[in-house]
Amino acid sequence: MVRYPPLRVIQVLLVALLMCAAPLAVQAEMGHNHQSGPVKLQKPKGTACVLPEEQMRRTHMDYLKHKRAVTVREGVRVRDESLKNCISCHPSKKKFCEQCHKYVGVKPDCFECHNYPD
Amino acid sequence: MIDNYRAIEGNSSSYFSLLALFGTFVAIGAGAFFYIEHNGHGVTNMTNQVVWGLPHVFAISLLVMASGALNLASMATVFGAKHYKQFRRFSAFLAIALLAGGLAVLVLDLGRPDRMLLTMIHMNFKSMFTWNVFLYSGFIVMCFLYLWTMMQHERFVKLAGSAAFGFRLILTTGTGSIFGVIAARDMFHSAITAPTFIAVSLSAGTALSLILLVVTFRSTGREMDIKLVHGLRNMLVFFTLLVAYLIVVEKFTSLYAPNTDDVAHYVLGGAHKMLYWGGVVVIGVLLPLLVLFMPASGNSVGGIVFASICSIAGEMAFIAHVLFAGQAYPFDMFPGYEITSVFLDGSVGVYWPSLVELLLGLGGMAITGLIYILGIKFFRLLPKKAVAPEGWAPWSP
Amino acid sequence: MTMDRRSVLGLGGAAAAGVMLAPGLHLIAAPNKTEADGNKRWAMLIDVNKCASDCTACTSACRTENNVPMFGDPTRDIHWIRKVELKDKSGRRPSVSLPVLCNHCEEPPCVHVCPTEASFVRKDGIVLVDKHRCIGCRYCMIACPYKARSLVYHKTKLPEGGNPDVPIRGSGVVEKCTFCVHRVDDGKLPACVEACNREGHGAMLFGDLNDPESEIAKRIKSVPTTTVRKDLGLEPHVHYQGL
Repeated sequence: MVRYPPLRVIQVLLVALLMCAAPLAVQAEMGHNHQSGPVKLQKPKGTACVLPEEQMRRTHMDYLKHKRAVTVREGVRVRDESLKNCISCHPSKKKFCEQCHKYVGVKPDCFECHNYPD
Repeated sequence: MIDNYRAIEGNSSSYFSLLALFGTFVAIGAGAFFYIEHNGHGVTNMTNQVVWGLPHVFAISLLVMASGALNLASMATVFGAKHYKQFRRFSAFLAIALLAGGLAVLVLDLGRPDRMLLTMIHMNFKSMFTWNVFLYSGFIVMCFLYLWTMMQHERFVKLAGSAAFGFRLILTTGTGSIFGVIAARDMFHSAITAPTFIAVSLSAGTALSLILLVVTFRSTGREMDIKLVHGLRNMLVFFTLLVAYLIVVEKFTSLYAPNTDDVAHYVLGGAHKMLYWGGVVVIGVLLPLLVLFMPASGNSVGGIVFASICSIAGEMAFIAHVLFAGQAYPFDMFPGYEITSVFLDGSVGVYWPSLVELLLGLGGMAITGLIYILGIKFFRLLPKKAVAPEGWAPWSP
Repeated sequence: MTMDRRSVLGLGGAAAAGVMLAPGLHLIAAPNKTEADGNKRWAMLIDVNKCASDCTACTSACRTENNVPMFGDPTRDIHWIRKVELKDKSGRRPSVSLPVLCNHCEEPPCVHVCPTEASFVRKDGIVLVDKHRCIGCRYCMIACPYKARSLVYHKTKLPEGGNPDVPIRGSGVVEKCTFCVHRVDDGKLPACVEACNREGHGAMLFGDLNDPESEIAKRIKSVPTTTVRKDLGLEPHVHYQGL
């Protein structure tokens, strides 16, 4: 007989419970916002992003966070990878950034200080 | 001896009203915190010259008292004063309660309390604040270990108690050094600042222990030998004299040297002279000494409790003076010149605390109170009857 | 067009790989990159004799360039650089007027006391506050002998005609003069120095102390200069001439 440690069992049960509950929560959120289907983003101006789109979608926050640290602390400034360059293709925060951010309910506070046009 | 400890009943209406009182102040303090957090520090009366206001006075006073509260236990464990052994649980527990209250205020007064955990992620080991993070958390752990050995492993008590005693000295040295190491501030840049903090912690911690013991024993109908109160009084006298000695030496030294006498003159006659003379000297030192040395008041429990209250008020005045006078005293960037600017260079900083700061500070005190009264209800911290050894007669005026 | 897109994507992909493999390394390929140079020591020399007492060109230029907020409350207004009037107590020396700003010390006490390393010295000697990391404990303001730092007490907005390239401030963090680090990295002079030159005073000189050929290095070698609170041993990088 295999004996399962009780802590492990609780862990597994918790994860399972969360996995069941998560889609429900998302559905509830979707219903609340009357949002269905993919989020509609403003069409970017340029031809291509600095990273492949899929990557940008998933990792732009890590990328920006890393960049912000090396820029502030090491003085590394790359024009192509600057926030200003983001704005040049995605000129509206409301029509671009906030579309997804609202959808997934995250509130980054970057733009409380950094200028990004509405 | 173990059987002698008993938790209080905690069923009386006055117990519950005390609970409700502390609970209310904790709630108000939490409200004050959210109010400041939401609106920014603009709602306080702090300025760019006096950046640490009343919350810091409460926080540091509580932290300083925390290490002082452990004194009673150290007396028993480290210095072999056996008659205080019965109070050592109370003493270590009170130290934790005070530290929790003080730390709460300190942390909630940050400009960005939401980023508090950054202190754990990025540590600058040159910073006195980083050291203090370890000192505070270490002190709590030490006190817990000490309590644990007291309750279950008597043979390790000496070890744990001595370690906690050593740690409390380091802790208050660290707290005092927050100020003492700052070369820019003539008001408190001194090697004697940390020892003075230790003396102040000893006097205020002993005073608070005394008040709480007397009040708790009275209100729960327990007996305490008056000789124990007199013994505590003598400790208070000694520590108050120690404080007096250190501040006199410090002022004397800074008055003696021509390059620092400006600061000393400011302390003795500047904008914060009332806080210094009235709060630190009269209420903190002279009044308690007078009350304790007069036979009529010095031997009565009422008089001793009054002197203890003065001592705690004096401790807070001392911290407030270090903070407010230290920050308000203008920098002498260009010696020999009178300096003026739109940034208020060369002028004494003006600060009068706002209500919300007071409420935040009181909230911290209420946290300590709440922990204490819950502690004595749920743990066996205090003896049923506090007895003094036969034939022991503490000095009396 | 297709080629263009591909090459951009390729560059991006390489950059992405770089991000994952070795942070910082990927940036070497990019031609438009600048980085703080550890061999430089940025410093300023202020000639007190050339500073006019009624001129505030440096302070207003700083305010515009860096969106330094004014709240209309003198105890809380933020000043990255301010004009200070000095009157000799004995009356023997003439009164002088000079700007005081962050001294960008070699041994900055603010950096020593900062618990989270939010205050730091950049490789090229500029002392900065990482506002993403500051927890607002204000210990640095206690430690700085130059009163160079301010806590942001209120929320701020980008002012009319403000500079969108410099962030505005979140409340509850500490800030101070940056030597206009964004301009320095761009090869430009700090806004105050430029404004002083524009006014024709030329009282402020900015440059690299480590470069013996730079004007500031030569001047500091040839004329008597001093720093504020020399006794503290902080080795400030703002030097004064004629004080």
